[in-house]
Amino acid sequence: MSAKTETISVANRKTKISHVFIYTFLVILALIYLLPLAWVVLTSLKDDSVLMISPWALPARPMFENYSFSWTMGHLGIATLNSFIVCTVTLFFSMLFGAMAAFGIAKMRWKLSKYMLLYFMIGMMIPVHCVLIPLFVQFSSLKLSNTLIGIVIPYITFSLPITIYILVGFFESIPNELFESACIDGCSVFKMFTMVGIPLAKTGFMVTGLMTFVGNWNELLLAMVFISNEAKKTLPVSLTKFVGPYHTNYCQMFAAIVIAVIPTIIVYCCFANQIVEGLTAGAVKG
Amino acid sequence: MDRLLRNKKAIIMFVAPAFILFTLVLFIPICKAVYYSFCNYKTLHPIKFIGLKNYVKLFTKDRAMMAALKNSIFFMIFSIVTQFIMGLFLAALLTNIRRGRNLFKNIYYLPCVLSSAALGLLWMFVFTPKLGINQMMASFGWIADCTEGPQWLFNTEGFIILPIIVISFVALWQYVGQSMMLYMAQISGISSDIFEAAAIDGCSKSQAFFRITLPLIRPMIATAMSLNAIGSLKFFDLVYNMIPEGFLGDKAHVLATHMYTQAFKFNKLGYGSAIGVVLLVMCLIVTVIINKFVKVESYDM
Repeated sequence: MSAKTETISVANRKTKISHVFIYTFLVILALIYLLPLAWVVLTSLKDDSVLMISPWALPARPMFENYSFSWTMGHLGIATLNSFIVCTVTLFFSMLFGAMAAFGIAKMRWKLSKYMLLYFMIGMMIPVHCVLIPLFVQFSSLKLSNTLIGIVIPYITFSLPITIYILVGFFESIPNELFESACIDGCSVFKMFTMVGIPLAKTGFMVTGLMTFVGNWNELLLAMVFISNEAKKTLPVSLTKFVGPYHTNYCQMFAAIVIAVIPTIIVYCCFANQIVEGLTAGAVKG
Repeated sequence: MDRLLRNKKAIIMFVAPAFILFTLVLFIPICKAVYYSFCNYKTLHPIKFIGLKNYVKLFTKDRAMMAALKNSIFFMIFSIVTQFIMGLFLAALLTNIRRGRNLFKNIYYLPCVLSSAALGLLWMFVFTPKLGINQMMASFGWIADCTEGPQWLFNTEGFIILPIIVISFVALWQYVGQSMMLYMAQISGISSDIFEAAAIDGCSKSQAFFRITLPLIRPMIATAMSLNAIGSLKFFDLVYNMIPEGFLGDKAHVLATHMYTQAFKFNKLGYGSAIGVVLLVMCLIVTVIINKFVKVESYDM
């Protein structure tokens, strides 16, 4: 008996020591993640000449002018608005089409549903770059280049595979009995989808929504190719203007970085804890 | 019930919008890209079929393409290996602790949701020779002067040039959270009964990890690895923003930046398409290889 308690206490001490190591490691790593970001915020409030001399010091007097300057001179106001419009429209349609297709694949009974899922999954393996040139040619002839619709359409398409993949997982996990009882109560298929399917897959919608929003908010290449008009540019494209061998005011550049990342940070903070839950339900099948 | 769910009209209604969009915006353009890659096609010029000439030029004469291929393959291997090790390690650590698990997880995942264009600017500054890291090293006395420190983003010597290595570490920093998240999701799906049974049988924690966790999450390893491989092959934002255009000449290209320059700076749409097709083929091959070697039949959990 006493020997047993002894081994237990030894084991406890061991776990305690190992926990100290684990937590030290985790905290150091967390600092590697957070310090650069905190430093960006600090620097964005500094003067460029101070930055060159002592980049790691705290700003003596916060310079909010940096923000107003990059907001107006970098056309970040209009860029933020464009990004916002593009992301919201994309979010809505990719969720709608994605959920419909996922429901059709997961719950409707037809022979080709497996192949249909495969067809959409291939989309995950295809980088945007491969279709960039043909799309560009096609959209210019349709007069869609330099319009926001022109980037919304590819964005929706490229958000579909991951949306469908995750939502199929969610819809499949809903027990069939629920749909049967809905059917007995006289529900049509579309009512089943809107009244039973969508509410029960709420977490899935949050995860896919977060991924779609964030992914499109940050997308650079396609927006850069399709949009050359200053008034139609999205945030990441406008950001590239702040770098260059000829004129770089670092502090204003950092202010622009902060402006560009704040919306995603806010969205992320609201939904962060749902991500693992959503991935677990959606991706367990691998 | 069965009749309702077999309703052909409803099925078509559900799947059609996504299917049509997918076909029009993804599959037809891919076929077109393959066709363009066999053509001499420049902006405002008529298309002329030239067979394999683009590919021949790409693989025999184009030095930038060689550098791009080399760099992209390096990125891919680096990110597959490091993200697998780091991601799994972090996931194993975080699933083993109770307090602060969510906090750490959220911190490590944070850069994944931030714009790589913005983070690229940040890291570009950190690695500027006269500023950032070199200045910090100088203030600690590790190097005599800022200018004597490593030229992080401008050194073009070696087989894999330093800027590419720096960028691959930045990419690891930014995206390791994603692998970690996928592994965590899978590990927390394993029933705790298995671990309890193993513990009763005298199984240590590391044994449990290698004998139970690892085999059980193998399908997810395949998924995460393929996502990494594709993600690193199509790498664009960080390279574009961290290396000012034309500063390093041809040596610092990756496939995506090379394609962008050829197609949209020099207006060689056909040639650019050929690079895009090479990229696509590489993505498909890598995915098939990974899934063949890593994925096994999934166990019942």
